[in-house]
Amino acid sequence: MTLRLHTVLAALAAVALALPLAAQDTTARGVRIGLTYQPGTRPGVVVLPVNGANGDSIRMILQRDLDFGDRVEIVGREGSTVADVARQQGGTMNYPLWRALGALAIVQATATASGVRVAVHDVAATGILNARDFTLPTPGLSAGWRMALHGVSDEIERWITGTRGAAQTRVAFVRGGRIHIVDSDGYGERAVSEQGTALSPAWHPSGRWIAYSAFGPRGTQIIVRDLQSGGTRVASPRNGLNITPEFSPDGSLLVWGFGEESGTDLVAAPYPGGGDPRRITVGRGSDNVSPSFSPDGRRLAFTSSRAGHPEIYTADVDGANVELLTTYLAGDQSYRSNPAWSPDGRVVAFQSQVAGRFQIMTISLRDRGMKQLTSEGINEDPAWAPDGRHLVFTSSRTGTKQLFVLDAETGRARQLTRAGGARLAAWSRVLDRTP
Amino acid sequence: MNALVRRIAPVALVATGACFATQSDVRVLQTDVQTLRTERHRQDSLMLQRFDELMASLRTTNDTVRALSDRVTRLQGDVRGDLFQMNQQLLQIQELTGQSQRRLQELRSSLEARQQDAAPVTPPMPPSQTPRDSAAAPGAQLPAAATPSGPPAGSPGPNQLFQSSLDQLRRGSPGSARRGFEELLRLYPTSELAGEAQFYIGEALAGEGNLAAADTAYGTVVARYSESPRAPTALYKRALLLQQRGNIAMARTALNELVRRYPRSDEAQLARERLRTMQ
Repeated sequence: MTLRLHTVLAALAAVALALPLAAQDTTARGVRIGLTYQPGTRPGVVVLPVNGANGDSIRMILQRDLDFGDRVEIVGREGSTVADVARQQGGTMNYPLWRALGALAIVQATATASGVRVAVHDVAATGILNARDFTLPTPGLSAGWRMALHGVSDEIERWITGTRGAAQTRVAFVRGGRIHIVDSDGYGERAVSEQGTALSPAWHPSGRWIAYSAFGPRGTQIIVRDLQSGGTRVASPRNGLNITPEFSPDGSLLVWGFGEESGTDLVAAPYPGGGDPRRITVGRGSDNVSPSFSPDGRRLAFTSSRAGHPEIYTADVDGANVELLTTYLAGDQSYRSNPAWSPDGRVVAFQSQVAGRFQIMTISLRDRGMKQLTSEGINEDPAWAPDGRHLVFTSSRTGTKQLFVLDAETGRARQLTRAGGARLAAWSRVLDRTP
Repeated sequence: MNALVRRIAPVALVATGACFATQSDVRVLQTDVQTLRTERHRQDSLMLQRFDELMASLRTTNDTVRALSDRVTRLQGDVRGDLFQMNQQLLQIQELTGQSQRRLQELRSSLEARQQDAAPVTPPMPPSQTPRDSAAAPGAQLPAAATPSGPPAGSPGPNQLFQSSLDQLRRGSPGSARRGFEELLRLYPTSELAGEAQFYIGEALAGEGNLAAADTAYGTVVARYSESPRAPTALYKRALLLQQRGNIAMARTALNELVRRYPRSDEAQLARERLRTMQ
């Protein structure tokens, strides 16, 4: 009887002690999104070897995309250890072992007849976090197949970190007077315009059209190229200097710089309808170029020389509320230009002369705090990725002008193009309906 | 035979006589022609000389006119260049002034925040003790907060309110921003920021999608703060809202009013172009 009582009391005491422990919010030490991980660290992710057709390519692309996303740390990048461990485990998942190897998530992909089946395991919770079948276009390893697989990577990144990646995108740029496009991982580079004098490409949000300026029989015109059909049309109705085009975030407006004797002003025309362009800026003889839309499409950042040398200004799309964004110093000969409004709307990236060389900087729209992001070589023409974290820019750090991608949060940079003379990059939106 | 001679003789005599007269006449005529030719040649030479003189004179005049024209062109260029430089300097001054004003605005805002931090906190009034109750109590004084002449003690200053509301608007919270600007107008109706605050109420309302109320707010800027630098912008915004809502006639009226009242503003330039293309 006494023994039974003692047993009951001991059980009650154990429950009483266990309750407060169970009530403690263990997530307070970390951030609960998809996985639990310590703030300031990146969750370790293992991409297991992929069985089936093009398995090695699938694994390599997924792994590289997750790495380039800069939100996770790839564990066992080279694969031999991971492959060995996976092989030893057979079909079962030894979560404690993966945890010991530093993984918080495991990406398990299998090639299927229609595409790929992906399961992401939460190592801490010892179970599947999310799983889904993805359809990939045929043939395998084609440009469309790769782009669709980048979309799978982005979705995996969303499952793990809560934020979608930006792998399913392309970058347009200029090399040798032609517009080229390249996948966000540096693969699939190809020219999309004829030999000529093309400059300043800008993506339509749908990813179907690219606008750029090119010298033709009627002066410098804005050309819009359909990436599906390859057809082009002139979007600037007036002869003269038409440069630096940019589409509004909803794609319904095309804005560019139109130059006359009285300076260059920004003008806007509906897209694709066209029509007579409407003036946005009143430059009074100055040059106003390089527009960049705010994410809500209501405001524009642009370069203007109205106060003497080029600085960054903002204005409403209807031309009102013009404000100087960067700091203007009288007598200062250095200048700032080529703004790019971040997709989260908080900062504007631009190029600024620092000790006579252009460097990439950002300015906060709230407190106008500036941050220098580059220092090696000459760095110019920034453009944001749709994730609002990465920037593509032109850099001379390797000796020739190349495109580099910079993680604005960590400062990690990677080279995107290898052949020389690449410049004036523009990053597309997510191309989930790839043309 | 004699008869024939008799007949021919007078005819021959007449013919020979006539012949002598013709030769003389011809000589006279030749002399006259020669004289005429000489005279004509002299006249031609004179005319040619005068023509040459006239041409020389014309050339001189032309050169003078051309020189004058060049001078005028140069002068025009110089004046245009000077005007452009003056415009640039004016714009620079405007930019610097605008920038200084923004900095001053931020400085004032932070000063107000510090003053507010440094000010002694007024203990909150018990819920049952209304101002009337305290006034009724002997020797009791109304706290500064309750006086109708000023804002409550410890409340943020106009610059602070303006800055924080503007931050809200920039961050994409038009509702919070509008309430801040409205509070500014309620507490500091005579502040120099009142016109700006009223304008941004219109902006916030437009951001919230309340176009009718935004129209009214912009109208208030023009009516109540017509000297504010925001007045032409408000009038322009009002015209665009009217156009957006399909009221083209009213939009045209607003644009015309803008051009008439603020002809040198940037918005007037934009309005003129809108008026040309508006249908």
